[in-house]
Amino acid sequence: MTTNTADAVSLTSATKRFGPVRAVDGLTLAIPRGQTVALLGPNGAGKSTTIALLLGLLPPDSGQAALFGLDPEQAVRQGLAGAMPQEGGLVPRVTVRELLTFVAGTYPAPLPLDRVLALARIDDLRDRRVDRLSGGQAQRVRFAMAVCGDPDLIVLDEPTAALDVEARREFWDGMRGLASQGKTILFSTHYLDEADEHADRVVVLGHGRVIADGTSAEIKRAAALTTVSVAADGESAWLATLPGVRHMEIRGGRVHLRTGDSDATVLALARADAVRDLEVAPADLEDAFVALTTKENV
Amino acid sequence: MWGYVRLELTRTLRDGGYVIFGIVMPVVMYLVFTNLGLAPGDKHDAAIYTMVSMAAYGALGGAFNNGSGIAEDRAAGWLRQLRLTPLTPAEVVAGKVVTGAVAVVPGIAAVLLAGVLVNHVSLPPQRWLAIVALLWAGTVPFSLLGLGNGYRLSGQSAAMANIATMLTLSILGGLWVPVGKFPSWLAAIAEWTPSNSYAGLSWRIAFGDVPTLRQVVLLSAWLLVFGVYAVYGYRRAGRRA
Repeated sequence: MTTNTADAVSLTSATKRFGPVRAVDGLTLAIPRGQTVALLGPNGAGKSTTIALLLGLLPPDSGQAALFGLDPEQAVRQGLAGAMPQEGGLVPRVTVRELLTFVAGTYPAPLPLDRVLALARIDDLRDRRVDRLSGGQAQRVRFAMAVCGDPDLIVLDEPTAALDVEARREFWDGMRGLASQGKTILFSTHYLDEADEHADRVVVLGHGRVIADGTSAEIKRAAALTTVSVAADGESAWLATLPGVRHMEIRGGRVHLRTGDSDATVLALARADAVRDLEVAPADLEDAFVALTTKENV
Repeated sequence: MWGYVRLELTRTLRDGGYVIFGIVMPVVMYLVFTNLGLAPGDKHDAAIYTMVSMAAYGALGGAFNNGSGIAEDRAAGWLRQLRLTPLTPAEVVAGKVVTGAVAVVPGIAAVLLAGVLVNHVSLPPQRWLAIVALLWAGTVPFSLLGLGNGYRLSGQSAAMANIATMLTLSILGGLWVPVGKFPSWLAAIAEWTPSNSYAGLSWRIAFGDVPTLRQVVLLSAWLLVFGVYAVYGYRRAGRRA
């Protein structure tokens, strides 16, 4: 355990280019200890590169990365971090038990093997060769490698990508247990409901930058995405000027108003006697995500 | 690091390619060559000469196999996973080198044992010691060449390149058929191969001679060349990782 109180993860104006592409572009992100943070973004947003920078797998071209106030590589050497890359990491010709015993053995204070097997729900696979696992089983073994050293920070790049619905639910049960022990957890995902449900905080990336950062409720609000719609009736361009409305679209004989303040919008509609077949649809994170990332593209 | 060596040795022993090329083939070929009278000269001398040849051949198999493993590890994302554990890169490289050094031992031991137990080879103890030591230490250049291929090439092509190199060096170096039976133009080439110098050190010892300076210098020069190649491959692989 470290005694310092530095943030678990800290990226400061970090930039990483691959040729002409800025995969990560002046990204600043601080994650205090104990937080569960979802890193959300479309493919190519820079999620995996961000993770590689903060784990010290890639050096930033400029800016800084630190884990627990240490150089990332140093923090990894001290066993403070465990990580599951998006793919790979399983070597052929070893059993699950042999692999996990080895990985755990490199950490100063690992979890007992039985705990790890239970946590990753791979009790029954312990003597199975890792090259003979199904995709979902392999994913769970990879997760076990990330947590077996009992690190303070757990970084997971798309951890549930190969899991079915049931396995995803079980996986998040396990993660909740780890979070309740005060672990700092950073995961990337494009399952938006997962970010919504399991993260204290959602960081949306686009083009290598943070484009939104907050609780999932805050992000939905920031993206102004409650949709108020009424039946179209004659000239309706004036509806775009109603309070709260940020975007208007006429489609299927209805006017769809995206609003940051649905109460004010609905009241104004009522005052103007324009309420016809009113519908108010709350935003889900998916809408917020699409809105934020497309706004970024404009 | 020892946990890493243990894991890598476990993986090596379960590798069919290693067991076949590094242990089984050399022993089988040794017994076939010597007992079907295919080896030249007096039966006892042939048993000694071919024993050294085949032990060297087996050691080459083990050394190159270790290099192919690197390419496989990289393709599997294992090298990156290792960077996410507290192991340092130096420990990982050292672990792989130790694994390679241990992996050549079973092949050498199996052929020498077959020599003693089946073909009743008997040599003074100090000659045994010198042969074992030279056969073992002399694998370093080949390990480096195998590692260079492993770093430079992708999984499948590295394995193919290493098997092809291993077979070429074995045959050309006179490990299968003595260079004395080669046509003169081929013998001229053979005398410059690292495998011929490598086995040559132990052939000389086995028959009570001292290795020639030429053999020592030549093998050292190849050590240098393959060392540079391995470092070049490692750097290239590092840029892509």
